[in-house]
Amino acid sequence: MSATKRVQQWSTFSRMWYLYDAQWQDPFHSAKILSPYLTGQNKPIYHPLNDCGDHVVVINSREIALRGDEWKKRVYFHHTGYPRGASWTLAWELHQKDPKMIMRKAVYKAIASNLIRRTCMERLHIYPGSEIPEEIKSNLSGQIRPIMPVPKRLQEYSKEEIDNYPKVFDFPNDYVLR
Amino acid sequence: MALRSLTTIGRKISEWNLLKTTAIFATNTRNLKQITQSETSDGTLVIAGNYVPSDRASNLVTVKLGDEAPCSACYMCKLNLDVKHTDVLILSQFVRTDGCMLPRRITGLCKRQQKRIGTMVTMAQKAGLMSNINPSWSHRDPRKRYRHKKWNSYWDETTIKC
Ligand SMILES: [Zn+2]
Repeated sequence: MSATKRVQQWSTFSRMWYLYDAQWQDPFHSAKILSPYLTGQNKPIYHPLNDCGDHVVVINSREIALRGDEWKKRVYFHHTGYPRGASWTLAWELHQKDPKMIMRKAVYKAIASNLIRRTCMERLHIYPGSEIPEEIKSNLSGQIRPIMPVPKRLQEYSKEEIDNYPKVFDFPNDYVLR
Repeated sequence: MALRSLTTIGRKISEWNLLKTTAIFATNTRNLKQITQSETSDGTLVIAGNYVPSDRASNLVTVKLGDEAPCSACYMCKLNLDVKHTDVLILSQFVRTDGCMLPRRITGLCKRQQKRIGTMVTMAQKAGLMSNINPSWSHRDPRKRYRHKKWNSYWDETTIKC
């Protein structure tokens, strides 16, 4: 095998490290995007017996956004195995206890249930904030595009931007300012 | 999901702004009442109502339709903007300084648009996007809110029932 072919072979089977910013992203929609990267299904060389999945580093998992009132409607079930060991936890309670858990469970659910599911999950690295350990940061080689636009709060705009923005209506005469 | 930003809407509106015809009005300009409280040196409380000119008059958008007959639709229907609950620069024009939605008597919207805008103002406030326009006793920081209200959430505008 020539030197070029050999290097091509190495780079084909090398693992990529992708960064995903979960700020204001829906974890369940994000999980659908992330699962092909973890299992390697986005690659032309994919085969169920070919362990070719990539690593995904998810940051800002504390800032994920759920749709509507899902924070108080979504329930996570757990059973210890003992009698009366069942427990139901609301999504906001779970997120308060562990800000990584909702993201992890969403991705785990999105990966097909088989024997390499746990191996794929080992390649998912979740961080609640924007801080990443240096040894993981040095591996990063790509980025996955966020799926939802990040909204901007009103206090993040400057006063000039708010004042100069086009106004759709003016107050009627004799309106008392409040 | 189509990526759309406030700048595109702003550009759209300013294009309309360029179409605006300049006219001379014989009537006086809009005057708003501002109630101020002050205390003089001898301890008497002075409550004064002054007329102030509106600061919105210079940036106001007017829609110029074609050569058709004058349309009775309200200005939001004429503008035909795809407003989302994240467009806080538009939604903040419809609220008082304490975050309360203005009534139809003042906004001049039709019933459907009043309901739509009012619902989207609520969505923006629940998402914590307009937390600086709030009553004085409220938590400005969404993270200090009670239970499930502290985390980020987003809404779908198609769920507004009108
Ligand atoms: Zn209307």
